[in-house]
Amino acid sequence: MTSHSGVTSGSTPGSSPGGEPFDPVGVTWQRVSTKLAAARRVSALLVLAVPAAVSVVLAVLVDGRFGWALAPLAAIAVWSWWVIGRQARAIGYAEREDDLVVRRGIMWRYVVVVPYGRLQYVDVEAGPVDRLFGIARVQLHTASASTDAAIPGLLPAEAARVRESLSARGQARLAGL
Amino acid sequence: MTGPDGPAAPGGPVAPGGPAAPGGPAAGVAVEDVAPVAADGQWHRVHPLTPVIRSWQLLAVALVYVVQDVGQHSLGDDGDDGGVVTALGSLRGRQLLIGTLLGLGVFAAVAALAYLSWRLTRYRVTDEALELEHGVLSRRQRKAPLDRLQAVDIVQPLLARITGLARLTLEVAGGGDSRIVLAYVTETQARRLRNHLLASAAGVRYESPEAPEAAEHVVFSVPLQRLVGALALSGGTIWLGILAIGLVGGSIATGHLGFAAGALPAVIGGGGALWRRFSTNFGFRVAAAPDGLRVQHGLLEQTAQTVPPGRVQAVRISQPLLWRPGGWWRVQANVAGYGSHERGQRALEAGLLLPVGTRDEAVAVLSFVLPDLGVTDAEHPGPVVDGGLTGTLADGGFTASPRRARWVDPVGWRRNGYRMTGTALLLRRGVLHRRLDVVPHARTQSCGVRQGFLQRRLRVASFALHSTPGPLAPFVAHLDSAVVADLLAAQVERARAARRTDASERWMERREPSAAPGHVLDEPAEPAERPGIEQLGDR
Repeated sequence: MTSHSGVTSGSTPGSSPGGEPFDPVGVTWQRVSTKLAAARRVSALLVLAVPAAVSVVLAVLVDGRFGWALAPLAAIAVWSWWVIGRQARAIGYAEREDDLVVRRGIMWRYVVVVPYGRLQYVDVEAGPVDRLFGIARVQLHTASASTDAAIPGLLPAEAARVRESLSARGQARLAGL
Repeated sequence: MTGPDGPAAPGGPVAPGGPAAPGGPAAGVAVEDVAPVAADGQWHRVHPLTPVIRSWQLLAVALVYVVQDVGQHSLGDDGDDGGVVTALGSLRGRQLLIGTLLGLGVFAAVAALAYLSWRLTRYRVTDEALELEHGVLSRRQRKAPLDRLQAVDIVQPLLARITGLARLTLEVAGGGDSRIVLAYVTETQARRLRNHLLASAAGVRYESPEAPEAAEHVVFSVPLQRLVGALALSGGTIWLGILAIGLVGGSIATGHLGFAAGALPAVIGGGGALWRRFSTNFGFRVAAAPDGLRVQHGLLEQTAQTVPPGRVQAVRISQPLLWRPGGWWRVQANVAGYGSHERGQRALEAGLLLPVGTRDEAVAVLSFVLPDLGVTDAEHPGPVVDGGLTGTLADGGFTASPRRARWVDPVGWRRNGYRMTGTALLLRRGVLHRRLDVVPHARTQSCGVRQGFLQRRLRVASFALHSTPGPLAPFVAHLDSAVVADLLAAQVERARAARRTDASERWMERREPSAAPGHVLDEPAEPAERPGIEQLGDR
C-alpha cells in the first residue's frame, strides 16, 4: 500500500512503483479455471447455432444464397473463440488481508476492491452450462448496488472455499453502514 | 366507516394478549394519547381512522357517485323533501333501491375488512426496536432494530393533516424492502415516537418519561420566489416552453388545432411533473438538530425527515447551467433506504437536502452532514469546497485530469478532479452542469477503476466510489493512471481506518459517555462544529 499525502498537500502524488491501477503492488493474482473459457465458448456457439440453423434451412428450402450468411457467422465464431480465451485469462482475483480484489478485461479493463467488512452476503451460482463444465460463479454483494464484483469460473471446491473464507472474514470485520 | 370504530370510543392501551380478541365494536380500542410513554413495551393499535385515510380515494369516488346519483334522481322526480325518499316510489326508484342495497353491501364488506385489518395491526416500541404486526390473511411481523436506524420520516397527506394524524416511516438498512411504515398515529404520538427512536438509536438515556425533543439549530428555508425561479430555469420547464411555443406556432401556421391537441398529453405530463416538484418542495426547510438533519417540505402532503448524523452516505452539491446567474445550488444525498421504494424521477428526488439555495446555504448543509471536512488547521475548508464547486485544474488543492485527457474529454477535462481530505473524498466534474460529490471515508462501500482502450493509450483511467443506492453514484473520469493507482490504494486504506474508528451507531454515547441523563439532547454535543459552519459560510 503506497503512502499518500492527500491530507495536507493534495498535490499530484509522485509516480509510485505501483503506478498501474490494474496491478496493485503486492498482489498475486489467482487465475480462474480454464473450463470457464470452454463453457463460455459453448454458450457462444449455442447462440450462434440458432441463426446458422435458420440460414441452412432457408438455403435448402428457399434459396441457396441464404447459405452465404454462414460466412459472417463463422467469422464471428472464430473471433469470439479467440476473445473469450483472452478474456478468461484476464480474470484474476486476490484475497488480501482486509479486502478482495477482482479484475477483468483487456480492451475495457476493470478492477474492484471490496473490503471484507462491507460484504453483506456472498452468492455461489452455477447455470446449466456452468454445471455441465463443473464450474461456479461467486458473486459479492455490498450495500451498494454499483459494486460489480464477481469471480466466474471457479471449481466448486474453490468456490465453496472462497465463499466460506469471505463469509468468515466478513463476519470478523463487519461494519455498520 | 367511522361508525363502529370512531375515535370517540373509550378504552385504554391494548392488552398484550391476542390482537383479534372478539368483542363489541368499541371494546379494546386503543386511544393513542392515553399511552403515558412512547416506549412502554406494550402493544398499541394504530389510530382507528387509519382505514379511512388509507382508502380516501376510494371513499371520495364512492361519495361523488352517490351524490351524483341522488342528485340526478331527485331532479328527475322534482321532489323537494329528500330526493331518495320520494324516488323510492317510482320504477326508477326501485332500481335505485336495489343499486343502493348492493352498494351498501359492498361498502359493508369493505368496511368490515378495513375494520379487521385495523384490529389486526399493532405495534410495540422498546429501547432496542420497533415491532409491527399486520395482515388479515397472512400475518406479517417486522422488527426494526434501532441500531440500524437510517432515517425517520413523519408524513402527513392532506386528509391526515386535517384529522391531525401522521404516518411514521423508519428506514432500517437491511437490503431490499426493510422499511417500517406505521400508519396512522396522532401527530403528537408520531413526534414522541420519533424523539424516542432517535434518542434510543443515539444511545441517550433519559429519566423523564418522554424523550425530550432535540433543539434545532441553524435553519434555512427556501423562499417561494426562489423555488419558482429555480423551477422556471430547470431543464424540464425549458423543454416544456419550447414544446408549447412549437405547438402554438404549429397550430397557427397550419390552422389546425388538432396539431396542438395531439401533443397535449406530453404538455400535461410535463406540467404535472413540474407541479409535483413545486408542491413537494414547497415550504422547504432545513435545520440541524443534535439528533440529525431535519428536512421539512410539502404543500398538500407534508413530510418531516430526520437523518441522524453519519447516516448520510454521500452528498452532491450541483448547479445546472441556468442557475449560475442566480448563484443557486442544489444539495442531494444518498441515504440508505431512501428512494428504494420509488422509481425514476421520484427516486432521484428522494434524497433532496436543499432544492435550491445560495452557495453559503449549500455549504452549510454540507457541514451539517459532515461537520469536519478534515483539512488541516492552516487551510480553511471554504477554498477547498469552492475549488470543488467552481474551480478547475489545481484550484482548492484538487488533483485534475492531465492535459492529454482532452482527447477523450475535450470540454470537461479541466473540471475532472479529486481532493482527498482527512475525513472525505471530494470528486469534482461538469463544466456546464457543475457537480461536487463528497463521500466520507467511513461510508465507502467499495472502489472500482475502469479503463477503455482509448484511455489506456492516453494512460488515464476513471475511478468510482460505490455508495448505497441513491441519486448519486460518485466517480471521477480520466485521471492519470499512476494517480488513480495511488488514489485507489489510499482510499482503500483510509476507508479501512475510518471503519475501524467509526461509531455512527449510538453516536451520542460515544461523544459524551458520562453525560447526565436528559442532558445530552438539551446541550447538543455541537459547539465544536459550529465554528466550522461559520468558517465555511464566510469563505
